[in-house]
Amino acid sequence: MRTAFRLLILLFIVGLVIIQFFQPEKNIATESPNHLFNQEQVPEDVSAMLKSACLDCHSNQTNYQWYHQVAPVSWFINNHIVEGKEELNLSNWGQMEILDKIAALEDMGKEIRNGKMPITSYKLMHPKAIFSEQESQRLIEWTSSFSEQLLTGE
Amino acid sequence: MKKIQLIPALLMAFLMIGQLAVASETPSNKKKVITMPENVKKVIDNSCFGCHNTDSRNDDAKEELDFKTLDQLTATQKLGALKHIRETIEENEMPPKKFLEHKPEKALTQAQKELLINWVKQESTALLKK
Repeated sequence: MRTAFRLLILLFIVGLVIIQFFQPEKNIATESPNHLFNQEQVPEDVSAMLKSACLDCHSNQTNYQWYHQVAPVSWFINNHIVEGKEELNLSNWGQMEILDKIAALEDMGKEIRNGKMPITSYKLMHPKAIFSEQESQRLIEWTSSFSEQLLTGE
Repeated sequence: MKKIQLIPALLMAFLMIGQLAVASETPSNKKKVITMPENVKKVIDNSCFGCHNTDSRNDDAKEELDFKTLDQLTATQKLGALKHIRETIEENEMPPKKFLEHKPEKALTQAQKELLINWVKQESTALLKK
C-alpha cells in the first residue's frame, strides 16, 4: 500500500515534469502600428486602465507572470488569451471596419457595466484590474464618447 | 441710406437662421431611427419578438435585445444591437434550438436569414451616414 502511494506521487511528479515540454506559443508580438494606442488618441488614465485590466487577453501583448509559464496553468491562460482575442483584439484596431469598432466599444461599455469584464478569475490574480465605481464609470464614459466620435467623424 | 442698411441686416438675419438650422442638426439632436420594412417586421414578429420585447417573461432575452424600445437607444447603441443581431443569425444561435423543439414553425429559413442580414447591413450603413 505504501509503495503504491509512493509510486503514485512519483508518477504525478514525472507527469508534471513531462507536461512542461508542451507549452503553448506565447502571446508576445511587438506592438503593431494597428494597435489602438497607435491609431487613436486615448486619454492616459483610460490607456492605463486598459493596460492593467484588458490588454492581457485583448491584444497581442500579454504581460505574463512567472506562474503562467508552468503547465497546466499556461494552458488555461492560453485558452483565455485565444478566446479573448477572438472576441476583440485591440492590436488589430487599425484593420477593423468602423461599424465593428463602434459595436466593439458598445460591447466594452456593456460588459464593464454588467460586471462581466474583466472576468472574476482574472481579477483574483490581478488586483489592478479591480476598478472602483468611479473608474468603471470613467471607462464606460470613454467607450460611449469615443464611439459617438467615430460615428459623427468629429 | 436706410435701404443700404437693410441689405446687410437681411444678410445677417439669413446667416443667423442658417446657423440655427445647422445647430439643430448636431448629432445628438438628429433623429436616427431604424426603419423596418413590412417583410422584415413579419419575420421578426414571428421568430424574435416573442421573447425580445419589454413585456417578455424571458428576462435575459429582453435585457439582451428589446425590439419595443430599440428606437430609444442612441445611434451607437443601435449599431451595437444590429451587429449582435447579425452575428446571432449568422452563427445560427437564435432562435434557440431548445425553443425550436417545441415551436419548429419559429425557425428562420435561409431566405429569412438573408433578408434579416441584408436589413441589418442596410440599416447600419444608413445609421453611419445620417
